[in-house]
Amino acid sequence: MEQVQELQILSNFEKDSEWFHENINKLRKEGFTGKFVAIKNSKPIASGKDVEIVVSEVEKEGENPSFIFIEFVHPEGYTLIL
Amino acid sequence: MRKIPLEVYNFANSLRPMAHFLLTSEDPKIFAPINAIVDTGSPITLIGPTDLSRMRLSSIQIKKLIGKNRPINIGGEQIFARTLEKANLKFGEHLKIEMPVNFPINIDNKSTQPSLLGVDFMLKTGAKLVFNPSKKEAYFEIEED
Repeated sequence: MEQVQELQILSNFEKDSEWFHENINKLRKEGFTGKFVAIKNSKPIASGKDVEIVVSEVEKEGENPSFIFIEFVHPEGYTLIL
Repeated sequence: MRKIPLEVYNFANSLRPMAHFLLTSEDPKIFAPINAIVDTGSPITLIGPTDLSRMRLSSIQIKKLIGKNRPINIGGEQIFARTLEKANLKFGEHLKIEMPVNFPINIDNKSTQPSLLGVDFMLKTGAKLVFNPSKKEAYFEIEED
């Protein structure tokens, strides 16, 4: 893969990651709490409580899941100490 | 001095420095962008179960990873991991590095453990982490040879 394509894939992923983290409260209000959500172009394209099902849904949408940002929507106030 | 910009996001009730990089490998074949928390409390770099699921690695491919299943306690949860010795991490146009990366073996489809960029990355590159949560600013500084 050419470097330009690589950078574009990374850039798109970063934008969707940024959108997710900035809009997590909106996602919670829309009923995504406790679910994995796949984001593409700043929009949820699949969601579910089992990540494998979400990955399958992403594939059904014709997308390569490797390139798609998927993250879990923790409940508000949930604290993770690593 | 080379500077690698990081993002600062609120994740699980805390501001965290996060790195975006392309993770690639020839065998097993991997090509995936990763969003990892920079975790100075983790000695190793670990791919989270969600990111592993996205990569669609088969059990045969995972068996190619070297070493015994290694127990890791993280966030109150025990997982087992194996190591890919020659993983390539590409931070946009800023840095490309080959280093070991760990993958979880006993994948729970409901595990929400994030990917972590550990101290091993900082040792390998000589990077210093600058993190100012009040300004939501974070970056790595690496001294040029």
